[in-house]
Amino acid sequence: MFATYSNALHECFSRRVALVLFGVAILVAIGFNAIVHVRGSAQFAPTVLVGTQPSAPAAIVVPSVIESELRATGTLWILLAIFAAAPLLTATLEKGWLEMTFSKGIARWRIFAARLLAGVTLYSFIFALAAFPLATRLWWTTRVPTWQIGVALLVETFSFAALLTVASLVSLSQRGVAVAIIAPVALWILSPLLAERERTFYQLFSSHFVRGIVDWAYRILPKCTELENACVSFIQSGSIGPWWPFWSTGLFASVILGLAFWQLARKSF
Amino acid sequence: MTDSAIEVENLHKIYRSVFGKKFYALRDVSLTVDRGTIFGLIGQNGAGKTSLVKILLGLSTPAAGSARVLGSSPSDPLIRRRIGYLPEQMRLPDYFRAANFMNYMGRLNGVDSNSLSQRIPELLQRVGLSGVQKPVKDYSKGMQQRLGLAQALVNDPAILFLDEPTDGLDPLGRKDVRDLLAELRAAGKTIFLNSHLLSEIEMVCDRIVILDKGEVKRTATPWEFTRGTGDYVVRLTNANEAARAAAADVLRPMAAFDAEWQGEEIRFRPRDVSHLNLLLDALRRVSVEIESVEPVKLSLEQFFLQVVGN
Repeated sequence: MFATYSNALHECFSRRVALVLFGVAILVAIGFNAIVHVRGSAQFAPTVLVGTQPSAPAAIVVPSVIESELRATGTLWILLAIFAAAPLLTATLEKGWLEMTFSKGIARWRIFAARLLAGVTLYSFIFALAAFPLATRLWWTTRVPTWQIGVALLVETFSFAALLTVASLVSLSQRGVAVAIIAPVALWILSPLLAERERTFYQLFSSHFVRGIVDWAYRILPKCTELENACVSFIQSGSIGPWWPFWSTGLFASVILGLAFWQLARKSF
Repeated sequence: MTDSAIEVENLHKIYRSVFGKKFYALRDVSLTVDRGTIFGLIGQNGAGKTSLVKILLGLSTPAAGSARVLGSSPSDPLIRRRIGYLPEQMRLPDYFRAANFMNYMGRLNGVDSNSLSQRIPELLQRVGLSGVQKPVKDYSKGMQQRLGLAQALVNDPAILFLDEPTDGLDPLGRKDVRDLLAELRAAGKTIFLNSHLLSEIEMVCDRIVILDKGEVKRTATPWEFTRGTGDYVVRLTNANEAARAAAADVLRPMAAFDAEWQGEEIRFRPRDVSHLNLLLDALRRVSVEIESVEPVKLSLEQFFLQVVGN
Protein backbone atom coordinates (compact mmCIF):
# COMPACT_ATOMS: atom_id res chain seq x y z
CA MET A 1 0.00 0.00 0.00
CA PHE A 2 2.94 2.32 0.67
CA ALA A 3 4.00 1.96 -3.00
CA THR A 4 0.56 3.11 -4.11
CA TYR A 5 0.58 5.93 -1.60
CA SER A 6 3.99 7.21 -2.67
CA ASN A 7 3.01 6.89 -6.31
CA ALA A 8 -0.22 8.80 -5.67
CA LEU A 9 1.76 11.50 -3.90
CA HIS A 10 4.10 11.68 -6.84
CA GLU A 11 1.15 11.99 -9.19
CA CYS A 12 -0.58 14.50 -6.96
CA PHE A 13 2.46 16.71 -6.59
CA SER A 14 3.11 16.51 -10.34
CA ARG A 15 -0.26 17.98 -11.22
CA ARG A 16 -0.29 21.58 -12.31
CA VAL A 17 -3.16 22.43 -9.98
CA ALA A 18 -1.10 21.21 -7.02
CA LEU A 19 1.82 23.38 -8.08
CA VAL A 20 -0.54 26.36 -8.30
CA LEU A 21 -1.78 25.57 -4.79
CA PHE A 22 1.76 25.47 -3.46
CA GLY A 23 2.41 28.83 -5.07
CA VAL A 24 -0.74 30.32 -3.54
CA ALA A 25 0.09 28.83 -0.13
CA ILE A 26 3.58 30.35 -0.22
CA LEU A 27 2.16 33.72 -1.25
CA VAL A 28 -0.38 33.57 1.58
CA ALA A 29 2.38 32.72 4.05
CA ILE A 30 4.49 35.63 2.79
CA GLY A 31 1.46 37.95 2.89
CA PHE A 32 0.60 37.14 6.51
CA ASN A 33 4.20 37.48 7.57
CA ALA A 34 4.43 40.82 5.83
CA ILE A 35 1.47 42.38 7.67
CA VAL A 36 2.33 41.05 11.11
CA HIS A 37 5.17 42.79 12.96
CA VAL A 38 6.65 41.96 16.35
CA ARG A 39 8.24 44.64 18.51
CA GLY A 40 9.99 43.95 21.74
CA SER A 41 12.88 44.83 23.96
CA ALA A 42 14.70 43.46 26.96
CA GLN A 43 12.64 45.58 29.37
CA PHE A 44 9.18 45.21 27.85
CA ALA A 45 7.05 42.29 26.81
CA PRO A 46 6.81 41.93 23.04
CA THR A 47 3.97 43.60 21.24
CA VAL A 48 2.47 42.69 17.92
CA LEU A 49 1.20 44.98 15.16
CA VAL A 50 -1.17 43.70 12.55
CA GLY A 51 -1.21 45.98 9.52
CA THR A 52 -2.15 49.50 10.59
CA GLN A 53 -3.76 48.41 13.87
CA PRO A 54 -2.25 49.73 17.09
CA SER A 55 0.21 47.38 18.69
CA ALA A 56 -0.97 45.22 21.57
CA PRO A 57 0.60 42.69 23.94
CA ALA A 58 1.61 39.54 22.15
CA ALA A 59 -0.26 37.29 24.61
CA ILE A 60 -3.50 38.88 23.43
CA VAL A 61 -2.80 39.42 19.76
CA VAL A 62 -1.07 36.18 18.79
CA PRO A 63 -4.15 33.90 19.32
CA SER A 64 -6.24 36.40 17.36
CA VAL A 65 -3.75 36.43 14.52
CA ILE A 66 -3.69 32.63 14.37
CA GLU A 67 -7.48 32.53 14.47
CA SER A 68 -7.70 35.10 11.66
CA GLU A 69 -5.23 33.13 9.63
CA LEU A 70 -7.29 30.00 10.13
CA ARG A 71 -10.55 31.76 9.25
CA ALA A 72 -9.02 33.36 6.19
CA THR A 73 -7.37 30.30 4.74
CA GLY A 74 -8.38 27.10 6.53
CA THR A 75 -11.61 26.37 4.69
CA LEU A 76 -10.35 27.98 1.51
CA TRP A 77 -7.73 25.26 1.30
CA ILE A 78 -10.44 22.66 1.58
CA LEU A 79 -12.12 24.03 -1.51
CA LEU A 80 -8.91 24.35 -3.47
CA ALA A 81 -7.49 20.99 -2.42
CA ILE A 82 -10.64 19.22 -3.59
CA PHE A 83 -9.83 20.43 -7.09
CA ALA A 84 -6.40 18.85 -6.79
CA ALA A 85 -7.34 15.67 -4.93
CA ALA A 86 -10.57 14.54 -6.63
CA PRO A 87 -8.82 13.86 -9.97
CA LEU A 88 -6.52 11.47 -8.10
CA LEU A 89 -9.52 9.28 -7.39
CA THR A 90 -11.10 9.48 -10.82
CA ALA A 91 -7.72 8.85 -12.50
CA THR A 92 -7.59 5.49 -10.69
CA LEU A 93 -10.52 4.35 -12.76
CA GLU A 94 -9.39 5.60 -16.15
CA LYS A 95 -9.61 2.99 -18.87
CA GLY A 96 -6.21 1.66 -19.79
CA TRP A 97 -4.84 2.36 -16.32
CA LEU A 98 -7.29 0.54 -14.09
CA GLU A 99 -6.75 -2.66 -16.10
CA MET A 100 -3.05 -2.45 -15.33
CA THR A 101 -3.34 -1.67 -11.65
CA PHE A 102 -6.44 -3.67 -10.66
CA SER A 103 -5.05 -6.79 -12.35
CA LYS A 104 -2.02 -6.67 -10.06
CA GLY A 105 -1.61 -8.58 -6.82
CA ILE A 106 -3.15 -5.99 -4.55
CA ALA A 107 -6.70 -5.49 -3.36
CA ARG A 108 -8.51 -2.68 -5.15
CA TRP A 109 -9.50 -0.94 -1.95
CA ARG A 110 -5.86 -0.56 -0.98
CA ILE A 111 -5.10 1.30 -4.19
CA PHE A 112 -8.10 3.53 -3.68
CA ALA A 113 -7.41 4.13 0.01
CA ALA A 114 -3.79 5.03 -0.72
CA ARG A 115 -4.87 7.62 -3.26
CA LEU A 116 -7.43 9.02 -0.85
CA LEU A 117 -4.69 9.29 1.72
CA ALA A 118 -2.44 11.06 -0.78
CA GLY A 119 -5.19 13.63 -1.38
CA VAL A 120 -5.51 14.20 2.36
CA THR A 121 -1.73 14.56 2.61
CA LEU A 122 -1.81 17.18 -0.11
CA TYR A 123 -4.34 19.20 1.86
CA SER A 124 -2.33 18.97 5.09
CA PHE A 125 0.80 19.98 3.26
CA ILE A 126 -0.78 23.07 1.70
CA PHE A 127 -2.36 24.06 4.99
CA ALA A 128 0.94 23.68 6.81
CA LEU A 129 2.82 25.54 4.10
CA ALA A 130 0.47 28.51 4.41
CA ALA A 131 -0.09 28.58 8.17
CA PHE A 132 3.00 27.25 9.92
CA PRO A 133 5.59 29.89 8.95
CA LEU A 134 3.72 32.72 10.71
CA ALA A 135 2.77 30.54 13.69
CA THR A 136 6.39 29.45 14.07
CA ARG A 137 7.70 33.00 13.71
CA LEU A 138 5.24 34.33 16.30
CA TRP A 139 6.12 31.63 18.76
CA TRP A 140 9.85 32.16 18.17
CA THR A 141 9.73 35.94 18.60
CA THR A 142 7.08 36.25 21.33
CA ARG A 143 7.21 32.85 23.08
CA VAL A 144 3.41 32.87 23.08
CA PRO A 145 2.39 29.26 22.32
CA THR A 146 1.03 28.75 18.81
CA TRP A 147 1.01 24.96 18.70
CA GLN A 148 -2.79 25.10 18.58
CA ILE A 149 -2.45 25.62 14.84
CA GLY A 150 -1.24 22.01 14.71
CA VAL A 151 -4.49 20.84 16.29
CA ALA A 152 -6.39 23.04 13.86
CA LEU A 153 -4.51 21.35 11.03
CA LEU A 154 -5.62 17.92 12.26
CA VAL A 155 -9.24 18.98 12.64
CA GLU A 156 -9.41 20.68 9.25
CA THR A 157 -7.72 17.68 7.64
CA PHE A 158 -10.38 15.48 9.20
CA SER A 159 -13.04 17.75 7.73
CA PHE A 160 -11.37 17.60 4.31
CA ALA A 161 -11.05 13.81 4.46
CA ALA A 162 -14.78 13.50 5.15
CA LEU A 163 -15.54 15.55 2.04
CA LEU A 164 -13.07 13.57 -0.04
CA THR A 165 -14.82 10.30 0.83
CA VAL A 166 -17.84 11.71 -1.00
CA ALA A 167 -15.65 12.30 -4.05
CA SER A 168 -14.44 8.71 -3.81
CA LEU A 169 -17.97 7.30 -3.79
CA VAL A 170 -19.11 9.55 -6.62
CA SER A 171 -16.09 8.74 -8.78
CA LEU A 172 -17.08 5.07 -8.75
CA SER A 173 -20.51 5.65 -10.18
CA GLN A 174 -19.68 7.92 -13.09
CA ARG A 175 -16.81 8.80 -15.39
CA GLY A 176 -15.08 12.14 -15.40
CA VAL A 177 -13.93 14.39 -12.64
CA ALA A 178 -16.62 17.10 -12.69
CA VAL A 179 -19.19 15.43 -10.43
CA ALA A 180 -16.44 14.14 -8.13
CA ILE A 181 -15.49 17.78 -7.53
CA ILE A 182 -18.99 19.23 -7.47
CA ALA A 183 -20.37 16.80 -4.86
CA PRO A 184 -17.91 17.59 -2.02
CA VAL A 185 -17.87 21.29 -2.90
CA ALA A 186 -21.67 21.30 -2.67
CA LEU A 187 -21.49 19.73 0.78
CA TRP A 188 -18.86 22.26 1.80
CA ILE A 189 -21.11 25.13 0.65
CA LEU A 190 -24.12 23.56 2.33
CA SER A 191 -22.37 23.13 5.66
CA PRO A 192 -22.63 26.75 6.96
CA LEU A 193 -26.18 27.02 5.60
CA LEU A 194 -27.22 23.94 7.53
CA ALA A 195 -25.36 25.08 10.64
CA GLU A 196 -27.36 28.31 10.54
CA ARG A 197 -30.54 26.64 9.30
CA GLU A 198 -32.85 28.69 11.54
CA ARG A 199 -31.66 31.79 9.73
CA THR A 200 -31.43 30.24 6.27
CA PHE A 201 -33.69 27.32 5.39
CA TYR A 202 -36.30 28.01 8.08
CA GLN A 203 -36.79 31.48 6.61
CA LEU A 204 -37.48 29.92 3.23
CA PHE A 205 -39.63 26.96 4.26
CA SER A 206 -42.40 26.94 6.82
CA SER A 207 -43.34 23.30 6.18
CA HIS A 208 -42.50 21.03 9.10
CA PHE A 209 -41.77 18.26 6.65
CA VAL A 210 -39.15 20.28 4.76
CA ARG A 211 -37.65 21.55 7.99
CA GLY A 212 -37.48 17.97 9.19
CA ILE A 213 -35.56 17.02 6.07
CA VAL A 214 -33.20 19.96 6.60
CA ASP A 215 -32.66 18.89 10.21
CA TRP A 216 -31.85 15.33 9.14
CA ALA A 217 -29.52 16.58 6.43
CA TYR A 218 -27.73 18.62 9.06
CA ARG A 219 -27.41 15.63 11.37
CA ILE A 220 -26.11 13.33 8.65
CA LEU A 221 -23.82 15.49 6.51
CA PRO A 222 -20.26 16.53 7.43
CA LYS A 223 -20.11 19.52 9.75
CA CYS A 224 -17.27 21.52 8.25
CA THR A 225 -18.45 24.78 9.80
CA GLU A 226 -18.73 23.34 13.30
CA LEU A 227 -15.31 21.75 12.94
CA GLU A 228 -13.78 25.08 11.99
CA ASN A 229 -15.56 26.71 14.93
CA ALA A 230 -14.07 24.02 17.17
CA CYS A 231 -10.59 24.97 15.92
CA VAL A 232 -11.25 28.65 16.63
CA SER A 233 -12.57 27.81 20.07
CA PHE A 234 -9.48 25.76 20.77
CA ILE A 235 -7.14 28.55 19.67
CA GLN A 236 -9.01 31.15 21.75
CA SER A 237 -9.79 29.22 24.90
CA GLY A 238 -8.01 25.89 24.72
CA SER A 239 -11.38 24.14 24.69
CA ILE A 240 -12.49 22.15 21.68
CA GLY A 241 -16.21 22.54 22.38
CA PRO A 242 -18.88 19.93 21.73
CA TRP A 243 -17.63 16.64 20.30
CA TRP A 244 -20.70 15.59 18.39
CA PRO A 245 -19.66 17.31 15.10
CA PHE A 246 -16.54 15.15 15.25
CA TRP A 247 -18.16 11.81 15.72
CA SER A 248 -21.10 12.49 13.42
CA THR A 249 -18.72 13.62 10.67
CA GLY A 250 -16.53 10.59 11.36
CA LEU A 251 -19.54 8.31 11.15
CA PHE A 252 -20.59 9.90 7.87
CA ALA A 253 -17.08 9.49 6.41
CA SER A 254 -16.84 5.87 7.61
CA VAL A 255 -20.17 4.90 6.08
CA ILE A 256 -19.41 6.62 2.78
CA LEU A 257 -15.93 5.11 2.61
CA GLY A 258 -17.33 1.67 3.45
CA LEU A 259 -19.89 2.04 0.67
CA ALA A 260 -17.17 3.15 -1.75
CA PHE A 261 -14.95 0.17 -0.93
CA TRP A 262 -17.88 -2.23 -1.10
CA GLN A 263 -18.89 -0.88 -4.49
CA LEU A 264 -15.29 -0.97 -5.68
CA ALA A 265 -14.87 -4.60 -4.64
CA ARG A 266 -17.98 -5.83 -6.43
CA LYS A 267 -17.75 -3.64 -9.51
CA SER A 268 -16.99 -5.30 -12.85
CA PHE A 269 -14.73 -3.26 -15.05
CA MET B 1 -1.00 -29.32 -8.71
CA THR B 2 -3.18 -29.41 -11.80
CA ASP B 3 -1.59 -29.41 -15.27
CA SER B 4 -3.96 -26.72 -16.37
CA ALA B 5 -2.92 -23.13 -15.88
CA ILE B 6 -6.42 -21.90 -16.70
CA GLU B 7 -9.70 -23.73 -16.29
CA VAL B 8 -12.92 -22.17 -17.44
CA GLU B 9 -16.20 -24.00 -17.01
CA ASN B 10 -19.60 -23.01 -18.33
CA LEU B 11 -18.82 -19.35 -18.04
CA HIS B 12 -21.55 -16.81 -18.71
CA LYS B 13 -21.17 -13.08 -18.75
CA ILE B 14 -24.25 -10.96 -19.20
CA TYR B 15 -24.49 -7.22 -19.65
CA ARG B 16 -27.77 -5.43 -19.24
CA SER B 17 -28.88 -2.31 -21.06
CA VAL B 18 -30.47 0.56 -19.13
CA PHE B 19 -33.84 -0.94 -20.09
CA GLY B 20 -32.87 -4.32 -18.65
CA LYS B 21 -32.31 -6.05 -21.98
CA LYS B 22 -29.77 -8.87 -21.62
CA PHE B 23 -26.72 -9.18 -23.80
CA TYR B 24 -24.63 -12.31 -23.53
CA ALA B 25 -20.96 -11.40 -23.81
CA LEU B 26 -20.04 -15.01 -22.97
CA ARG B 27 -22.33 -17.99 -23.23
CA ASP B 28 -21.38 -21.31 -21.69
CA VAL B 29 -17.68 -20.95 -22.40
CA SER B 30 -15.46 -23.83 -21.30
CA LEU B 31 -11.79 -24.20 -22.02
CA THR B 32 -8.51 -25.21 -20.46
CA VAL B 33 -5.01 -23.93 -21.03
CA ASP B 34 -2.13 -26.25 -20.27
CA ARG B 35 0.88 -25.02 -18.35
CA GLY B 36 3.89 -24.05 -20.43
CA THR B 37 1.94 -23.48 -23.62
CA ILE B 38 0.99 -20.51 -25.74
CA PHE B 39 -2.75 -20.23 -26.11
CA GLY B 40 -4.37 -18.03 -28.72
CA LEU B 41 -7.81 -16.51 -28.41
CA ILE B 42 -9.27 -15.17 -31.62
CA GLY B 43 -12.59 -13.71 -32.57
CA GLN B 44 -14.26 -10.75 -34.16
CA ASN B 45 -14.76 -7.47 -32.37
CA GLY B 46 -17.45 -8.04 -29.75
CA ALA B 47 -16.90 -11.81 -29.73
CA GLY B 48 -16.31 -11.75 -25.98
CA LYS B 49 -12.51 -12.01 -25.90
CA THR B 50 -11.99 -9.00 -23.65
CA SER B 51 -14.81 -10.11 -21.34
CA LEU B 52 -13.14 -13.48 -20.94
CA VAL B 53 -9.71 -11.98 -20.29
CA LYS B 54 -11.14 -9.54 -17.74
CA ILE B 55 -12.78 -12.40 -15.85
CA LEU B 56 -9.50 -14.32 -15.87
CA LEU B 57 -7.73 -11.27 -14.43
CA GLY B 58 -10.30 -10.69 -11.71
CA LEU B 59 -11.38 -7.39 -13.26
CA SER B 60 -14.86 -8.64 -13.93
CA THR B 61 -17.13 -11.24 -12.39
CA PRO B 62 -19.07 -13.87 -14.35
CA ALA B 63 -22.85 -14.23 -14.18
CA ALA B 64 -22.45 -18.01 -13.92
CA GLY B 65 -19.78 -20.65 -14.23
CA SER B 66 -16.27 -20.68 -12.87
CA ALA B 67 -12.85 -19.47 -13.89
CA ARG B 68 -9.72 -20.69 -12.16
CA VAL B 69 -6.22 -19.46 -12.77
CA LEU B 70 -3.35 -21.51 -11.35
CA GLY B 71 -5.92 -23.48 -9.43
CA SER B 72 -7.55 -20.53 -7.66
CA SER B 73 -9.97 -17.73 -8.27
CA PRO B 74 -8.40 -14.74 -10.02
CA SER B 75 -10.15 -12.48 -7.53
CA ASP B 76 -7.47 -13.55 -5.04
CA PRO B 77 -4.70 -10.89 -5.07
CA LEU B 78 -2.09 -13.52 -4.17
CA ILE B 79 -2.89 -15.41 -7.36
CA ARG B 80 -2.73 -12.21 -9.37
CA ARG B 81 0.82 -11.71 -8.13
CA ARG B 82 1.72 -14.63 -10.39
CA ILE B 83 0.02 -13.11 -13.42
CA GLY B 84 1.41 -10.63 -15.93
CA TYR B 85 -0.90 -8.59 -18.13
CA LEU B 86 -0.43 -6.35 -21.10
CA PRO B 87 -3.72 -4.60 -21.89
CA GLU B 88 -4.62 -3.61 -25.42
CA GLN B 89 -5.08 0.03 -24.50
CA MET B 90 -2.61 1.43 -22.00
CA ARG B 91 -2.89 4.82 -20.44
CA LEU B 92 0.44 5.66 -18.90
CA PRO B 93 0.42 8.65 -16.55
CA ASP B 94 2.55 11.51 -17.84
CA TYR B 95 4.88 11.75 -14.86
CA PHE B 96 6.37 8.26 -15.20
CA ARG B 97 9.69 7.31 -16.68
CA ALA B 98 10.32 3.73 -17.70
CA ALA B 99 12.19 2.66 -14.56
CA ASN B 100 9.84 4.17 -11.99
CA PHE B 101 6.82 2.91 -13.91
CA MET B 102 8.27 -0.59 -13.84
CA ASN B 103 9.12 -0.18 -10.18
CA TYR B 104 5.54 0.80 -9.36
CA MET B 105 4.08 -2.10 -11.32
CA GLY B 106 6.46 -4.47 -9.56
CA ARG B 107 5.65 -3.09 -6.11
CA LEU B 108 1.93 -3.51 -6.79
CA ASN B 109 2.71 -7.17 -7.35
CA GLY B 110 4.62 -7.41 -4.11
CA VAL B 111 8.08 -7.73 -5.69
CA ASP B 112 10.80 -6.66 -3.27
CA SER B 113 13.19 -3.79 -3.99
CA ASN B 114 16.27 -5.99 -4.45
CA SER B 115 14.60 -8.12 -7.09
CA LEU B 116 13.28 -5.04 -8.83
CA SER B 117 16.65 -3.33 -8.94
CA GLN B 118 18.02 -6.39 -10.71
CA ARG B 119 15.04 -7.20 -12.91
CA ILE B 120 14.07 -3.78 -14.22
CA PRO B 121 17.32 -3.04 -16.12
CA GLU B 122 17.31 -6.59 -17.53
CA LEU B 123 13.75 -6.29 -18.78
CA LEU B 124 14.22 -2.81 -20.20
CA GLN B 125 17.24 -4.09 -22.08
CA ARG B 126 15.29 -7.12 -23.28
CA VAL B 127 12.57 -4.94 -24.81
CA GLY B 128 15.02 -2.42 -26.22
CA LEU B 129 14.31 0.46 -23.86
CA SER B 130 17.55 0.43 -21.92
CA GLY B 131 18.95 3.93 -21.50
CA VAL B 132 15.74 5.69 -22.59
CA GLN B 133 15.36 8.52 -20.10
CA LYS B 134 12.48 10.54 -21.50
CA PRO B 135 9.07 10.52 -19.82
CA VAL B 136 6.69 7.83 -21.05
CA LYS B 137 4.33 10.51 -22.37
CA ASP B 138 6.92 11.14 -25.09
CA TYR B 139 7.10 7.48 -26.10
CA SER B 140 5.94 6.32 -29.49
CA LYS B 141 3.18 3.70 -29.65
CA GLY B 142 5.79 1.02 -30.26
CA MET B 143 7.87 2.10 -27.27
CA GLN B 144 4.80 2.14 -25.05
CA GLN B 145 3.99 -1.35 -26.21
CA ARG B 146 7.51 -2.54 -25.37
CA LEU B 147 7.25 -0.94 -21.96
CA GLY B 148 3.87 -2.57 -21.44
CA LEU B 149 5.38 -5.91 -22.24
CA ALA B 150 8.25 -5.32 -19.83
CA GLN B 151 5.91 -4.37 -16.98
CA ALA B 152 3.90 -7.54 -17.60
CA LEU B 153 7.06 -9.52 -16.92
CA VAL B 154 8.33 -7.56 -13.93
CA ASN B 155 6.94 -10.04 -11.39
CA ASP B 156 8.30 -13.06 -13.29
CA PRO B 157 4.75 -14.32 -13.81
CA ALA B 158 3.71 -17.92 -14.25
CA ILE B 159 0.98 -16.81 -16.65
CA LEU B 160 1.14 -13.95 -19.08
CA PHE B 161 -1.98 -12.41 -20.63
CA LEU B 162 -1.11 -10.42 -23.72
CA ASP B 163 -3.74 -8.39 -25.49
CA GLU B 164 -2.53 -7.41 -28.97
CA PRO B 165 1.16 -7.53 -27.95
CA THR B 166 2.47 -6.64 -31.41
CA ASP B 167 0.13 -3.69 -31.89
CA GLY B 168 2.15 -0.67 -33.00
CA LEU B 169 5.37 -2.62 -33.48
CA ASP B 170 7.34 -2.70 -36.71
CA PRO B 171 8.22 -6.07 -38.31
CA LEU B 172 11.48 -6.30 -36.36
CA GLY B 173 9.66 -5.51 -33.15
CA ARG B 174 7.11 -8.20 -33.91
CA LYS B 175 9.86 -10.72 -34.44
CA ASP B 176 11.39 -9.67 -31.10
CA VAL B 177 8.06 -10.33 -29.42
CA ARG B 178 7.73 -13.73 -31.09
CA ASP B 179 11.24 -14.63 -29.96
CA LEU B 180 10.45 -13.47 -26.45
CA LEU B 181 7.28 -15.56 -26.36
CA ALA B 182 9.25 -18.60 -27.49
CA GLU B 183 11.81 -17.96 -24.74
CA LEU B 184 9.08 -17.65 -22.15
CA ARG B 185 7.43 -20.85 -23.29
CA ALA B 186 10.78 -22.62 -23.11
CA ALA B 187 11.09 -21.30 -19.55
CA GLY B 188 7.79 -22.98 -18.69
CA LYS B 189 5.58 -19.90 -18.70
CA THR B 190 2.00 -20.07 -19.87
CA ILE B 191 0.97 -17.39 -22.34
CA PHE B 192 -2.57 -16.39 -23.15
CA LEU B 193 -2.52 -14.41 -26.36
CA ASN B 194 -5.40 -12.31 -27.62
CA SER B 195 -4.79 -10.85 -31.04
CA HIS B 196 -6.39 -9.88 -34.30
CA LEU B 197 -3.15 -10.64 -36.12
CA LEU B 198 -3.96 -14.19 -37.08
CA SER B 199 -0.64 -14.74 -38.81
CA GLU B 200 1.11 -13.98 -35.49
CA ILE B 201 -1.18 -16.35 -33.63
CA GLU B 202 -0.60 -19.04 -36.21
CA MET B 203 3.16 -18.71 -35.86
CA VAL B 204 3.46 -18.90 -32.08
CA CYS B 205 0.43 -20.62 -30.55
CA ASP B 206 0.22 -24.23 -29.45
CA ARG B 207 -3.54 -24.13 -29.20
CA ILE B 208 -6.21 -21.78 -30.46
CA VAL B 209 -9.81 -21.04 -29.57
CA ILE B 210 -12.17 -19.29 -31.92
CA LEU B 211 -14.77 -17.30 -30.04
CA ASP B 212 -17.83 -16.01 -31.86
CA LYS B 213 -20.77 -14.14 -30.35
CA GLY B 214 -19.68 -15.21 -26.89
CA GLU B 215 -19.44 -18.91 -27.72
CA VAL B 216 -16.48 -21.21 -28.31
CA LYS B 217 -16.76 -22.26 -31.95
CA ARG B 218 -13.61 -24.32 -32.35
CA THR B 219 -10.62 -25.39 -30.29
CA ALA B 220 -7.62 -26.96 -31.97
CA THR B 221 -3.95 -26.70 -32.66
CA PRO B 222 -2.88 -24.36 -35.48
CA TRP B 223 -1.87 -27.48 -37.43
CA GLU B 224 -5.38 -28.89 -37.14
CA PHE B 225 -6.84 -25.61 -38.28
CA THR B 226 -4.53 -25.22 -41.23
CA ARG B 227 -3.89 -28.82 -42.24
CA GLY B 228 -4.21 -29.76 -45.90
CA THR B 229 -7.42 -29.20 -47.78
CA GLY B 230 -6.72 -32.31 -49.85
CA ASP B 231 -5.69 -30.27 -52.87
CA TYR B 232 -2.18 -30.27 -54.30
CA VAL B 233 -0.41 -27.79 -56.50
CA VAL B 234 2.17 -29.16 -58.92
CA ARG B 235 4.40 -26.41 -60.29
CA LEU B 236 6.16 -27.08 -63.61
CA THR B 237 8.95 -25.21 -65.35
CA ASN B 238 7.81 -25.89 -68.94
CA ALA B 239 4.14 -26.65 -69.04
CA ASN B 240 3.86 -27.25 -72.82
CA GLU B 241 1.06 -28.91 -74.74
CA ALA B 242 2.61 -32.37 -74.24
CA ALA B 243 2.59 -31.87 -70.47
CA ARG B 244 -1.03 -30.72 -70.49
CA ALA B 245 -2.04 -33.70 -72.60
CA ALA B 246 -0.16 -36.14 -70.37
CA ALA B 247 -1.76 -34.67 -67.29
CA ALA B 248 -5.19 -34.82 -68.88
CA ASP B 249 -4.65 -38.48 -69.76
CA VAL B 250 -3.93 -39.30 -66.14
CA LEU B 251 -6.59 -37.13 -64.61
CA ARG B 252 -9.49 -38.02 -66.92
CA PRO B 253 -9.86 -41.72 -66.04
CA MET B 254 -9.52 -40.90 -62.35
CA ALA B 255 -12.41 -38.49 -62.56
CA ALA B 256 -10.41 -35.63 -61.12
CA PHE B 257 -12.81 -33.13 -62.57
CA ASP B 258 -11.73 -30.33 -60.33
CA ALA B 259 -8.19 -30.20 -61.73
CA GLU B 260 -7.37 -26.81 -63.13
CA TRP B 261 -4.43 -25.15 -64.80
CA GLN B 262 -3.17 -21.87 -63.50
CA GLY B 263 -0.26 -20.78 -65.72
CA GLU B 264 2.59 -23.16 -64.98
CA GLU B 265 0.71 -24.83 -62.13
CA ILE B 266 -1.83 -27.55 -61.99
CA ARG B 267 -4.08 -27.73 -58.93
CA PHE B 268 -6.11 -30.84 -58.30
CA ARG B 269 -7.45 -33.11 -55.61
CA PRO B 270 -6.16 -36.69 -55.88
CA ARG B 271 -8.12 -39.55 -54.37
CA ASP B 272 -4.96 -40.75 -52.69
CA VAL B 273 -1.15 -40.49 -52.84
CA SER B 274 -0.87 -43.10 -55.62
CA HIS B 275 -3.06 -40.91 -57.76
CA LEU B 276 -0.67 -38.02 -57.18
CA ASN B 277 2.30 -40.24 -58.10
CA LEU B 278 0.58 -41.37 -61.28
CA LEU B 279 0.28 -37.75 -62.34
CA LEU B 280 3.94 -37.07 -61.54
CA ASP B 281 5.02 -40.19 -63.50
CA ALA B 282 2.98 -39.13 -66.51
CA LEU B 283 4.51 -35.66 -66.43
CA ARG B 284 8.03 -37.06 -66.18
CA ARG B 285 7.40 -39.36 -69.12
CA VAL B 286 6.90 -36.34 -71.36
CA SER B 287 10.10 -34.76 -69.95
CA VAL B 288 8.37 -32.03 -67.99
CA GLU B 289 10.45 -30.59 -65.19
CA ILE B 290 8.60 -30.56 -61.89
CA GLU B 291 9.59 -27.62 -59.76
CA SER B 292 7.53 -28.41 -56.69
CA VAL B 293 4.62 -30.41 -55.33
CA GLU B 294 2.80 -28.78 -52.42
CA PRO B 295 -0.27 -29.67 -50.47
CA VAL B 296 -2.70 -26.75 -50.32
CA LYS B 297 -3.28 -25.53 -46.75
CA LEU B 298 -5.76 -23.09 -45.34
CA SER B 299 -4.31 -20.08 -43.62
CA LEU B 300 -5.64 -19.44 -40.15
CA GLU B 301 -7.41 -16.40 -41.53
CA GLN B 302 -9.20 -18.48 -44.17
CA PHE B 303 -10.17 -21.03 -41.56
CA PHE B 304 -11.34 -18.33 -39.19
CA LEU B 305 -13.51 -16.77 -41.90
CA GLN B 306 -15.00 -20.16 -42.65
CA VAL B 307 -15.83 -20.75 -39.00
CA VAL B 308 -17.40 -17.39 -38.26
CA GLY B 309 -19.40 -17.63 -41.43
CA ASN B 310 -18.04 -14.81 -43.52
